[in-house]
Amino acid sequence: RLDANLISVVPEKSFEGLLSLRHLWLDDNALTEIPVQALNHLPALQAMTLALNQIWHIPDFAFQNLSSLVVLHLHNNRIQSLGANGFDGLHNLETLDLNYNELLEFPGAIKTLGRLQELGFHSNNIKAIPENAFVGNPLLQTIHFYDNPIQFVGQSAFQYLPKLHTLSLNGATDIREFPDLKGTTSLEVLTLTHAGILLLPRGMCQQLPSLRVLELSHNQIEDLPSFHWCQRLEELGLQHNRIHEIRADTFVQLIALRSIDLSWNSIRFIHPEAFVTLHSLTKLDLTDNQLVTLPLDGLGGLTHLKLQGNPAVSEPLTKESFPKMRVLEVPYAYQCCAYGSCSSFFKMSSQWEAEDMSPEEEDPHKRTMELFPGHADNQYDLDTDDLQLDLEESKLHPTVQCTPSPGPFKPCDNLFE
Amino acid sequence: VHPNVSQGCQGGCATCSDYNGCLSCKPRLFFVLERTGMKQIGVCLSSCPSGYYGTRYPDINKCAKCKADCDTCFTRNFCTKCKSGFYLYSGKCLEKCPDGLEANNHTMECTSIVH
Repeated sequence: RLDANLISVVPEKSFEGLLSLRHLWLDDNALTEIPVQALNHLPALQAMTLALNQIWHIPDFAFQNLSSLVVLHLHNNRIQSLGANGFDGLHNLETLDLNYNELLEFPGAIKTLGRLQELGFHSNNIKAIPENAFVGNPLLQTIHFYDNPIQFVGQSAFQYLPKLHTLSLNGATDIREFPDLKGTTSLEVLTLTHAGILLLPRGMCQQLPSLRVLELSHNQIEDLPSFHWCQRLEELGLQHNRIHEIRADTFVQLIALRSIDLSWNSIRFIHPEAFVTLHSLTKLDLTDNQLVTLPLDGLGGLTHLKLQGNPAVSEPLTKESFPKMRVLEVPYAYQCCAYGSCSSFFKMSSQWEAEDMSPEEEDPHKRTMELFPGHADNQYDLDTDDLQLDLEESKLHPTVQCTPSPGPFKPCDNLFE
Repeated sequence: VHPNVSQGCQGGCATCSDYNGCLSCKPRLFFVLERTGMKQIGVCLSSCPSGYYGTRYPDINKCAKCKADCDTCFTRNFCTKCKSGFYLYSGKCLEKCPDGLEANNHTMECTSIVH
């Protein structure tokens, strides 16, 4: 271990004879260059860290004799440039950490790293990921590249990565088309937000049979394909797009889908059978769209429903439509009345009359009880058995958090009818 | 300085508190949370304890646990000494050596077959 010293130079013969050396720590020193000559004598080296130095460039063939190296950490240096053959010779490298450097361009030198599994180059200054960027790295499982000003991503950049599980791309505003992910069949989490995607390809799901989470918020998507072939999809984020319609086949047969966020779109119409087959759906966010009505078939399992910002949705809701509801946001206060908010509202009013009650006298536990729905005529002075009974009952009908809750200026009756 | 942070810290602490021990370490030392019963106490060490590996960052040096089958490691995914019952091969702990390699029960490693 040579870490945490003030080493600025490693003489050529420093490691001569160390033919069995496997692990080398040179992190947290003052190196400004890769000690190429000194590293030429370490045929058994498997793991090395040069992190936390001031290295600014990786020359060609910098590690050419380190054929046994499996792990190479170069994070927290000042690497700006990298020779096209900078990583030649690293035939067994599995982990490469280039995070927290000053790379201006995509590290193309990785093309020779055929066994690479883990690659990090987040927190650099890279603006583009080129076509076929990882064509030489078929074993890649994780790629971390957030916190780069990435504007452009080649359409074929992430093809043929059969072991990749997660792909996150945020803010690449130059992306206009959904990437072609042919051969990247194990992808489970795909995040592609704040870009300029207009269209989702029809065959998208056929390429992504393992997809569980698809996050496409803040794009310009207008029309949705059928996600039918995304059979393992659990979470779908489409907020802040330009979607105007949900068809019968859009979400058909997505039996694992638990959450859909369609807020901040322009949805005017949802086909009556759009949610029928979604047996696992518990969360649906339709905030700020242009809905006139909400089809209820298939929504019986919802625990969270958000409809605010759809002024034309004025029909009252019934408790029977959503037996498991816990959080409900609706356009109008009277739509909360189905959930007993009115009785709590009446109680609240009597509570308001007793305003001169000093805070000490007011028993917080008593106020919670007041809010139990369906106990409008509660006399507060329950004995313990009744209290126990009441608590048991409340577990069966947990209070539904419904907003906007009615009040003096938001009456329970729809004044416009 | 926060009222609960005392200046007269021991060992390698840069700041500490009566209840939580070290809150931050002097340069180049590793920050480790040691558990004593329900309590966690911060300590500063020159290197990480056995079963942990160290990662140095500009603002803090941290220790993190090796994998369950590994005694000492370089990073979480690269073991340098496996727990008993496992053979070490290229940073991994294997119950059985891959084809083409033989198990050396002395070093507990998978090695090339010598003809």
